[in-house]
Amino acid sequence: MVRVTSFLLRRLAQSVVIVLLASLIVFCLLRTGPGNPARMIAGGMATEETVEKIATEMGLRSPMLVQYFIYLKKVVLHGDFGTSFVRPKSGASAVAGGRADDPTRAERARVIDLILDRLPLTLQLAMMAMAIALSVSIPIGLFAGLHAGRWPDAAALMLSSVLVSMPNFWLAGILVLVVSIQLHWLPAVGYRDVTYSILPAIVLAIEIIPVLVRSLALSLGAMMSQNFVRIGLIRGLHPSQVIYHHAMKGASVPLLNMLGVQLSALLGGVLVVEYIFDYPGLGALTIEAVLQRDFPLIQAIAMLTSAIFVVINILVDLLAGLIDPRLEY
Amino acid sequence: MPSDILLGVDNLGVAASIGGRSKVVLDNISFAVSRRETFGIIGRSGSGKSVLAKALIGWLDPALSVTGGAVSFDGVDMVGADAAQLRAIRGRRIGYVGADPTTVFDPTIPIGRQIAEKLRAVRPEVGHKEALDRVVELFETVRIPDARLRAGELPSKFSGGMIQRAAIVDAMIGGTELLIADNVTQPLDVTVAAQIIRLFQMLRNEVNTAILFISSSLPMVKNIADRLVVLEEGRVVERSTPERLAAHPETAYSQALIAQIPRIWSREMAHPAVKADAATVLSVQDVKRNYRVRNQRSLFGSVSIQAVRGVSFDVKSGESLGIVGESGCGKSTLLRLLTWLDMPDAGRISFDGVDLGKMSRNDRFHLRARLQLVLQDPYGSIPAHWTVGRIISEPLRLHRSMLASERRTRVTDTMVEVGLDPGLYSKLPVGLSAGQRQRINLARALVLEPAILLLDETLSALDQTEQTRLIALFERLQSARGITYLFISHDLAMVRRVCSRVAVMYLGKIVELVSNEMLFFAPQHPYTKALLSAAPTLEESPYARDDYLVEGEPPSPLLIPAGCSFANRCPQALPVCRQQEPPVHHLPQGGIVACHLAGEDRVT
Repeated sequence: MVRVTSFLLRRLAQSVVIVLLASLIVFCLLRTGPGNPARMIAGGMATEETVEKIATEMGLRSPMLVQYFIYLKKVVLHGDFGTSFVRPKSGASAVAGGRADDPTRAERARVIDLILDRLPLTLQLAMMAMAIALSVSIPIGLFAGLHAGRWPDAAALMLSSVLVSMPNFWLAGILVLVVSIQLHWLPAVGYRDVTYSILPAIVLAIEIIPVLVRSLALSLGAMMSQNFVRIGLIRGLHPSQVIYHHAMKGASVPLLNMLGVQLSALLGGVLVVEYIFDYPGLGALTIEAVLQRDFPLIQAIAMLTSAIFVVINILVDLLAGLIDPRLEY
Repeated sequence: MPSDILLGVDNLGVAASIGGRSKVVLDNISFAVSRRETFGIIGRSGSGKSVLAKALIGWLDPALSVTGGAVSFDGVDMVGADAAQLRAIRGRRIGYVGADPTTVFDPTIPIGRQIAEKLRAVRPEVGHKEALDRVVELFETVRIPDARLRAGELPSKFSGGMIQRAAIVDAMIGGTELLIADNVTQPLDVTVAAQIIRLFQMLRNEVNTAILFISSSLPMVKNIADRLVVLEEGRVVERSTPERLAAHPETAYSQALIAQIPRIWSREMAHPAVKADAATVLSVQDVKRNYRVRNQRSLFGSVSIQAVRGVSFDVKSGESLGIVGESGCGKSTLLRLLTWLDMPDAGRISFDGVDLGKMSRNDRFHLRARLQLVLQDPYGSIPAHWTVGRIISEPLRLHRSMLASERRTRVTDTMVEVGLDPGLYSKLPVGLSAGQRQRINLARALVLEPAILLLDETLSALDQTEQTRLIALFERLQSARGITYLFISHDLAMVRRVCSRVAVMYLGKIVELVSNEMLFFAPQHPYTKALLSAAPTLEESPYARDDYLVEGEPPSPLLIPAGCSFANRCPQALPVCRQQEPPVHHLPQGGIVACHLAGEDRVT
């Protein structure tokens, strides 16, 4: 197990660097880009001095790297991601309170609470989408891959082409119209219980299905033409042994890599879909935070997502290495 | 006795359908193999041997179909058999071993487990542990060292010879009655191929299995088959025994086949002796190259592969020097160093007296015009989407400034010189034969009029006829232009025909460097003798396999033992060989040998 431990240690060290770099880039971009959070807090009517005063209080006028290290120190030493610029503890957003000396300032919500509030909903949505995508694409992909070059393969390709050419905002509209409004089968907007996740999950899944089907069909098709698979019957193996023990095992590594990429892409896709369905997940939170120039919140979400990406990639490589021991860890 | 016949092939015909048209691949093939008999089938590549092997076990490509005749295995009609009948026979009663053992096994599962899986598939009554024990037992029978350890390793950790042994175990393990061996020695190095032949001899004598041994090489079949047929263009042209065929081939095809088998000892060879005052063109002094790779067994460690371990030699102007050795001996790394595609860790390589390591980039660029390389693979070494003229003129565009018309003349002149039709100038290389492609490769190297040509297995992809023509071309070029050749090869017969001096490499070192005559008639190093004993030839070799052929394979370049690196296989190793690196002896007849025994063990 030295091999696995050494792999994990090296990759975790790398991922710390990656997450730090990503957070530094986001930190700097936020502060050089347009939009002044102090102005947003102070309100459109406030004088320039008031805005400056708030900005200095918020630490926005120190050199950028100093700001970053102060931020990082809090995060690393105390796990403190700071408080939101705009959100009060109670809940509702408090932008555009015209008063400069906002008395609720000390009562602003902690970023970590905001995120932990929303993250489970998004994870639930992503997992549900992945489960739907896998349960549809694995049977189709296997069927196509086992009959590479014949009609199941062509049919799977056609299905993939149709699905891939449906834009998610359009599909979401159609589904809401048919499934929720006409048939009353599923709720469409907001979130009250788990059924509210189903429609957005279907929209997300439909984006992933074509990619997974193609990936599986191609890699399984390639496996089936490998000599060690074709010669399996000549060696005296049972056809099911050849397919399940050898061909599918080999095809699972490219599928796994594709899953990693798609899972990461899913977290991006969530942005749009959550917005459309008014689903109170991390995606909706991100959009609001960006619109409000809520730097600490954006910052923390960016760090979290890059950490999720990195962890997914490590897991994928670890699993791939267990399936195919030839892969260099 | 008809009851004794295990496999009967009767008027078998196979046709390929390509684009609606049908082409005969096998026609009217008939033969019978008795129980416990070893039956040989020989024929050149393309004669239909492999199709025949696959037709026997019902494994034809979808484009091929049986057009007539019958194959019966112990009374079962193999042509008309359904899937269930085939399953009861293939892998259980008939084992098949092909030419490419590296693709037989799933690359992600240890070999022992895969063979045990096969055994349990054909003999469900065998338990899990019992199956693995049986695999290990058979690994020992076919002389795979450290059998239990090797059974747990992935196929990629096996050398070509070892994986072929494992594939043979896999084919035999169900207790098969017939073993079909299709060109099993083809991808292997000579000493390894000779070991596999020896293994088949042992199987023939000790196991009650009939063997159908298919090969393009009569010298291989000769050592094991009782009877054989010669296949030409899908037809049986001669039925004979190996001895009778070698001595009295009856048909013109068999005669040609036998005439092409290289002669090493019986043919007189005249090599223009290198002039004693010839200048040294290329000088290699104590060159070493290690590669570091990550060690997967430790956190941050790496291990060192010693690819070239101190090689020295001089190449004189106008000579042909051969470097021979088996896979992994470091000859390809050496070639990369000579062309400065890779740099040595230690030592000096100088060209015309100038150290390559001290040259400027620019000077080295100009040097490359004088030192050209011709590679082994006639397909991979030529860009498929360039016209032949563009390919050959490329070096001129890089190295010489000249008018387009001059360049064209130069290219067509070179094409004529190497025997290419100048009409190919504006054609793509698509559809050209391996021989023509190798001529393009050669023309591309010659167009700059280099002083020295490095030929890396240049002829190994070509058939004997084409080889003979190219060798004649090399000789003509040498006498016309005074080119110096460095042949890197594993083919002793080819080296015998063209080289004035030969260096034998083993595990990154030159173990013997002597004249052609000395190497073949008075070799000093035991490894050289082993190579000579394994050379596939019909002649009576002065080096009988039983006396000189070595077992095993070279040690890993990761873990080179102390002392002489050949000691673990050497039949004559002394205690000193395992402790001290042998010194380089300068022989009184000229040449060098690195062996503790040299001096006491002269063969003259």
